[in-house]
Amino acid sequence: MQSLNKIAYISVFTAASISIFVIESLFPTPIPGIRLGLANIFILLALIFFGLKEALLIGILKSIVGSLILARLLTPSFIFSISGTVLSTFIMWLVIHTRLPFSLLGISMIGAEANVIIQLIIAVSIFLPGVSFFRIAPIYVLSSIITGSITGTSTYLIYLKINRRYKLCVD
Amino acid sequence: MRQKSRFRPLRIGDIFIIIFFLFFVVFLPKNQGEKVIISVDKTNNFVYPLNQDKEIIVNGKLGEAKVVIRDGRVRIQNSPCPLKSCEKKGWISKKGDFIICVPNRVVIKITGKEYDAITE
Repeated sequence: MQSLNKIAYISVFTAASISIFVIESLFPTPIPGIRLGLANIFILLALIFFGLKEALLIGILKSIVGSLILARLLTPSFIFSISGTVLSTFIMWLVIHTRLPFSLLGISMIGAEANVIIQLIIAVSIFLPGVSFFRIAPIYVLSSIITGSITGTSTYLIYLKINRRYKLCVD
Repeated sequence: MRQKSRFRPLRIGDIFIIIFFLFFVVFLPKNQGEKVIISVDKTNNFVYPLNQDKEIIVNGKLGEAKVVIRDGRVRIQNSPCPLKSCEKKGWISKKGDFIICVPNRVVIKITGKEYDAITE
């Protein structure tokens, strides 16, 4: 029963993060590459409720299926997406696992920064050689502080609801 | 309840991480460029220091373009290209900035102390 419950939750989280990822990608933004990153909510929830393996599963599925729907599989944007997701999931897991004094706001912010910085490093080293990293970094780091705090706050609200209503077992 | 108190908003680490990244944004190394690389048709590379005022005539594919270096900044003053978008780009001064004039095949690029692998 517990395992069925878990499978159901993982699939709902995956579906939700894919649909948010796809809808979010359709909105134009003033600077290319800046998104709100709301799909991160469900990766973070999976990290809290289940663990690294399940969160990585959700993240990788989100990147692959989302890119498939948006017809950008194996394009640079897909490579950015999957590498950023995997690295930020891993770093958020480390922060949660080591019990550092961060709330969900800080954890989500660290995830957003990791996401942005690895994407910038890939962009500068592979796709845009010659562009200085420190020239384009400030705007992305600043925006990811804001989007990371928005995502973290909404994750906390959803976490409270799920925790209260379903008494999902933790640890 | 234990978990709830653990993830409640704004613990001490959050403030620390916000301050850390704001400092990162504000005190990022400022990239004042050092050298100007002017290349025509990817072949002729001329390197000039950015801190000496100079006016350079570049022989592009369409004709002569006038490049001005003044007060640590560079711009194309006159260009024979039809749209003049390289003139409208104005002054550039930071490392990594560039002006590209496609019809005239002129590329002006600013580098810092170390060269990129690509420009070498």
